[in-house]
Amino acid sequence: MSAISVIRLTGELEISRKDEIRRALHLVGSEGGILVDFFDVTYADSTTLAELLRFRREADAQGIPVAIVIGSRQFARLIQYAGLSDAFPVFDNRAAALTFLAAEAKA
Amino acid sequence: MLHRSKSTFLGVALTLALVLVLLIGGGFSVRSLITRAFDDTSDIRHALGLARQVLVAQLDEETGVRGYAATGNRVFLAPYEVARRRFPTLMRALQRQLTAIGANDARTIAEDMDATNGRWVREVAEPVANATEDPRKLGVQLAGKALVDHFRADSDRINSVVVAQQQAGQTAIRSAIDRINILIASAAIVIAAIGGIFLEVQRRADLRIERERVEAEIKRREAESLRSAYDAEKRIADSLQEAIAQRPLPTLPTLRFSATYVPATEETKVGGDWYDALELPNNRVLFAIGDVTGHGIEAAVTMNRARQALISSALLEGDPAAVLGRVNDEMYRQNAPLVTAVAGFADAGTYEFVYSTAGHPPPLLIEPGRRPRLLECGSLPLGALGGSRYQLHRIQSVPGATLVLYTDGAVEHSRNVIEGEELLIDAAAGAAEAHAEDTASFIHKTIFDGRAVGDDVAILTISFATDIATGVRISADDAQSAFVGRLGRSVPPGLRSARQGRRHVVLPARLAS
Repeated sequence: MSAISVIRLTGELEISRKDEIRRALHLVGSEGGILVDFFDVTYADSTTLAELLRFRREADAQGIPVAIVIGSRQFARLIQYAGLSDAFPVFDNRAAALTFLAAEAKA
Repeated sequence: MLHRSKSTFLGVALTLALVLVLLIGGGFSVRSLITRAFDDTSDIRHALGLARQVLVAQLDEETGVRGYAATGNRVFLAPYEVARRRFPTLMRALQRQLTAIGANDARTIAEDMDATNGRWVREVAEPVANATEDPRKLGVQLAGKALVDHFRADSDRINSVVVAQQQAGQTAIRSAIDRINILIASAAIVIAAIGGIFLEVQRRADLRIERERVEAEIKRREAESLRSAYDAEKRIADSLQEAIAQRPLPTLPTLRFSATYVPATEETKVGGDWYDALELPNNRVLFAIGDVTGHGIEAAVTMNRARQALISSALLEGDPAAVLGRVNDEMYRQNAPLVTAVAGFADAGTYEFVYSTAGHPPPLLIEPGRRPRLLECGSLPLGALGGSRYQLHRIQSVPGATLVLYTDGAVEHSRNVIEGEELLIDAAAGAAEAHAEDTASFIHKTIFDGRAVGDDVAILTISFATDIATGVRISADDAQSAFVGRLGRSVPPGLRSARQGRRHVVLPARLAS
């Protein structure tokens, strides 16, 4: 079983951090699953959300499941605006997300 | 750089000064050498002249005495007497001159000459001149010959010594002049080298200055062209944006509209916000608001494309979810920047709003006597994923209700969207309470209160008239059927959940507001 990668970003994600976000959100290609940890993220602008969607498309193309962990109500609301819960399984803690990814990897 | 060329200049100046001092010193020493050589030469000539005169005087003495001795005629003694009296003066002069030219050897010889002459005068000349008998009979001639030969040999020696000294002096002058020549040649080489170095330093400095000037000019032009490109882009983006702002809102007896668009105060952030309210055939009223990810021309162009696609889709499709689905596929195919939008239809007859959202903040509903509330939202932005489905929301409202659509700048200004939503709701409540004529501007003013705006903000409101008597009752469903029927198209599928097809979607209840 391949390992589950964790990508963790914190703070306010906006266009000035675009390069950093783009570097973080990339695939190695051998992941069994990816947990994107946004637990400490409070804000993300549309550029970041677009990056996240691009990342999901890449992961989808390789059949790698992706789960998002969020921890702030503000960010949860932005995720809701963007309809990202249509594209990603969203969790409020890491353990639940890992359980989900492990189950996905087995399936 | 400046420091280095300064010290180079100082070095050059010092070296040149040194060379100049050497040359002047050399010039003076040459001058004194040559002067001395001239003096020496004339002194030596004088000495040689005196030596010759001494010799001539001795010859006169000897010739006189010999003539007398040979003839016995006293006439021959006259030159002898004259020469004998002159001889001591000449000899003293010669000795002085030899001392003066430093020919001490020659002086010693001259003293010997003097003594020889004295001896000759005493032992040969005087006995002959004073003889009472026939001088021819005296036997002094042989001894006299030896003394005269000695004297002449001394004279020759003096000559050679002085001439040798003269030649040595000339050689010394020649070598001094050679040394001066070498000094002058070296100075010339040093000056040429320094001149060369100086010119090279100057040339490099000139090159550097020129290069810096060219670089500065290039930078200036780059900045200028960037600036003008930026200005051009901003102008184009601004005029595209302006074109939208200028589109008039419909004037209808049953629906009232208000709208505002305030661009970002940071001029780099001319965005892609837009809104539309259009009366379509069959009494349908389309409302839409949207926002393109990013800024500048690309955003403005994408916005225009999305906007046109949305209007043409609204002519073909009966419900907003299908309209957004069409626009999404169009934008996805063009690989355009993501667009968030709300699209919907208002039915003044039934007081019903139908709408769908695509990655956009939720509409806000103001109803008389109630606190304004945010409606449902969701679904991905347009262009994010091909074949996305959009959720259709149907809101049965009341006369006097107002639907407020806005772009994210209205709630994300503080980066705290929960707080932003509260401010928006408060502003909407304030507008309702004040019965504001221009609800959109009222809300904008309340939220921003003259503060600088970091992002574009567009607000569009649609209100149902309170007096239903003036309204023409056409339900949304009737309108849809009539419209679709006319185009001969099948009725589009009804409500479709955007979540269809997902096995797990867990938006935590704790985090959902």
